[in-house]
Amino acid sequence: MRVLIIEDERRLAENVAGSLRESAGYAVDVAFDGEEGLYMAESNPYDLVLLDLMLPKLDGLGVMQRIRASGSPVPVLVLTARDEKESVVALLNAGADDYVAKPFDLGELLARAKALIRRGKGQSAAVLKVGDLEISTADLTVRRKGRIVSLTAMEYRVLEYLAHRPGAVVPKTELLEHLYDFNWERFSNVIEVYISGLRRKLDDTGDTKLIHTLRGQGYMLRG
Amino acid sequence: MRKTSIQRRLIVVVVVSQLLLAVGLVWVAVYFTRRQLRNAFDTQLRGRAMSIAALVRYSEDPHPKLIFEDDLVPPPLETQHPDLYEVLAGDGHVIARSPDWPATAPQFTSRYGLRTEFEFDGARYRAIRLERVPVLDREPELPNDDVLTVTYAAPTDQMTRAVARAGVYIALGSALLLLVTVTLAVWGLRRGLRPLAELAGSAALISTTNWELNPSEAALSTSELAPLTQAMTAMLDGLHRAFTQQREFLANAAHELKTPVAILKSTLQSLLQRPRAAEEYRAGLEQALEDMARLEKLLHSMLRLARAEQWAAGSTRRDLQTIDAAATCQAAIERLAPLAQERGVTVEFSSNGALPIRADGEDLELVWANLLENAIRFSPADDRVQLRVHSKGARGYAEVEDNGPGIPKAELSRIFERFHRADSSRARDTGSYGLGLAISKALIEAYGGTITPESRSGRGTRMVVELPLAEANS
Repeated sequence: MRVLIIEDERRLAENVAGSLRESAGYAVDVAFDGEEGLYMAESNPYDLVLLDLMLPKLDGLGVMQRIRASGSPVPVLVLTARDEKESVVALLNAGADDYVAKPFDLGELLARAKALIRRGKGQSAAVLKVGDLEISTADLTVRRKGRIVSLTAMEYRVLEYLAHRPGAVVPKTELLEHLYDFNWERFSNVIEVYISGLRRKLDDTGDTKLIHTLRGQGYMLRG
Repeated sequence: MRKTSIQRRLIVVVVVSQLLLAVGLVWVAVYFTRRQLRNAFDTQLRGRAMSIAALVRYSEDPHPKLIFEDDLVPPPLETQHPDLYEVLAGDGHVIARSPDWPATAPQFTSRYGLRTEFEFDGARYRAIRLERVPVLDREPELPNDDVLTVTYAAPTDQMTRAVARAGVYIALGSALLLLVTVTLAVWGLRRGLRPLAELAGSAALISTTNWELNPSEAALSTSELAPLTQAMTAMLDGLHRAFTQQREFLANAAHELKTPVAILKSTLQSLLQRPRAAEEYRAGLEQALEDMARLEKLLHSMLRLARAEQWAAGSTRRDLQTIDAAATCQAAIERLAPLAQERGVTVEFSSNGALPIRADGEDLELVWANLLENAIRFSPADDRVQLRVHSKGARGYAEVEDNGPGIPKAELSRIFERFHRADSSRARDTGSYGLGLAISKALIEAYGGTITPESRSGRGTRMVVELPLAEANS
C-alpha cells in the first residue's frame, strides 16, 4: 500500500510516515505544502491520502476539493487541529472520508488508515481471507490453515496488496507503484523475487495453489 | 449591610411632610375658627348686655329711681344653663341680677379687659362687662347723668362644641388629603422609579453570550439614568473586548498547542510501536526532548504575549528605569549573531547617540531581536540587514530594514496578528509560531510607542518603531 501524507509540520509528518512504514508496512510519501501535495496526489496512484488542514500555499480544504474534482476516488483521512462541528462537516462534504483530531493517537490513526484502505478496495473485515489463507492486517500476520506463515516485510506487502482484491489480475507495474514510495528505484524483477518467495512459503506445501501468474498481464490471488 | 430603599425613604419624607402640613393646617384652622366664634359670641353677649341695659328705666315716682323690668328679659342662649346678668348703677348699687347670679361674682381683671370666663353650675361661662352705659329711658325733665355697668354671662358649651366640630371636620379633611397625596406619591414614585427597575432588568440579561445592553425607552429618556446607562454601556464594551480577547487568545493557544503536542505524542508513540535497540530509544528520547523544547518555547511566548498585553492594557504597573535603548540593540544583534552567520547575513547598526527610554531592557532587546530575526530570515543570503536608531524631539526611532521579498499589501495588516505566519513552510522549519511580531507590538504599545511596517513586494521591508523618550530628569 502506498500512502501520501500532506502535512507542513515536518516532525509530525516524519513521525506518522515512520509509523506507517514500520507498523503497517506501507510505502509513504510526504508533501509539506498543499500545492506539492496536490501535484503528488495527481501524479501517483495512492491507496490513501493523509491530509492536514492548515497548509501553506493551498489549504487542506482546497486540496481536498481539487482531488475530488479530478475524479480520484482515493480515500482521504484528514488530520485537523480544528475539530469544531462546522469544519468537520465542511470537510466531509468536500469529499473527505474520515478525520482525526490533533493530537491524535498513532494507533488510532493506523487503524483508521487501514480501515479506509480496506473500504477503498471493497473489503470490510480486518482479516482478509482468500481460500484457507488468512491475512490479519491488524498485526500483519499470515496464516494458512491456521498455521502461521513467516514472511519478509516486502513479501507481506505484496501478499496484502493482492489479498485486498482477490481474483483480480494485478499488473506488475501496479504492484511497483503501490509498494514503493517516491524515493525508491523501481526494478520490475524484484516483484518476481517476492512472488517466488511467497509461492515457496504458501503454495509449495502441497496445498491448493493460491498465487497465479498470468503471463504478460500480472498476478492474481485466488482461493 | 442593611439595605435602604430610595422609594421607602422618599415615601417617608412625603408622608412626614404631609403630616406636619396637616397638623399645622388643623391647628391654624381651629385657632382662627375659635377666635372667630369667640368674637361672634362676644358680640352676641354685648348685644344681650345692651338689651338688658335697655330694660332699665326710671320709676314714675316723684323721685324717680332706676328700676328693672325683668319680665322682658330675653330667653337664655341655652336651655340647659341659664344666662347670668347683673346691672349696677353708677354708684355701685345693684339694680338687677339674674336669679342665679353666683355668690362669687366674676372678676374682670384688667389683663383680659372687660371679658372673663368662669365655671358655674358645672358649665363654662363667658362674661362681658359694659361700663358707663347710659340709661335709655330718657325724659327731658329727668337727670341724665346716670350710667350703668352691665355684666352678662352665658355658657360657652355650644361655642366650644362648634370649635371642636370644626376641628374634627378639618382634621378629617386633612387626613383624607394626606391619604390622597401619599397614594399619589407612592404611585408616582413607583412609576418614576420603574425605568431603574427596567434598566436592572436589561442589565440582568447580560451574559457571556449577550453583551448588548438594551435599555428600555423609558430608561433612555430619563435624564437621571443617562449617566448610569452610558457608564454601563462603556463598562460592558470594555469587558466584552477584554473577554473576547481572552477567549480568542485561549482558543488560539489551545489550537496552537495541539500541533506541538501531536508531534511529541507521535514521537513517543512511534518509539513504543515495537521493541527497539537502546540507541534507537536514546535517539527517540532526544527527539522527544527537542519536541518538548519547542512546546516550551511556544508556551513561553504565549505567556510573554499575555503579560505584554496586560501591560499595554494598563492593568498592571511596573517600576521602570530609564535605560539606553541603543545598548539593547547591541545586545539583540549579539543574540542573533549565530543565525545571521548561518544565513550569511550582515547586521549593520547605526545610531546618533544614546536613546534614553523608560522601559525594561529585556523587553526592548526582545523586540529588536524579533524584528531582526524576521529580517535575517527573509533576507537573501550574503545580504545585509540594517538597524538604525535616532531621536527626534521627544521621540526615539528604531528602524529595521531588509532587502527581502517584502510583504504583500494584503498581508501587511495581518502580520501583527497572533499566530500569523508568512505563507511559507520555511517558517515551520524554524519552529516559529507567529507570535514574535504580536509580542513586539504589545510590548511597544505597553511603553506608549507604535510599530509600523513599510513594505512593498520585492522591495524589502522596513519596520519603524517609535517610542517616547524619557525626560532628562527622570
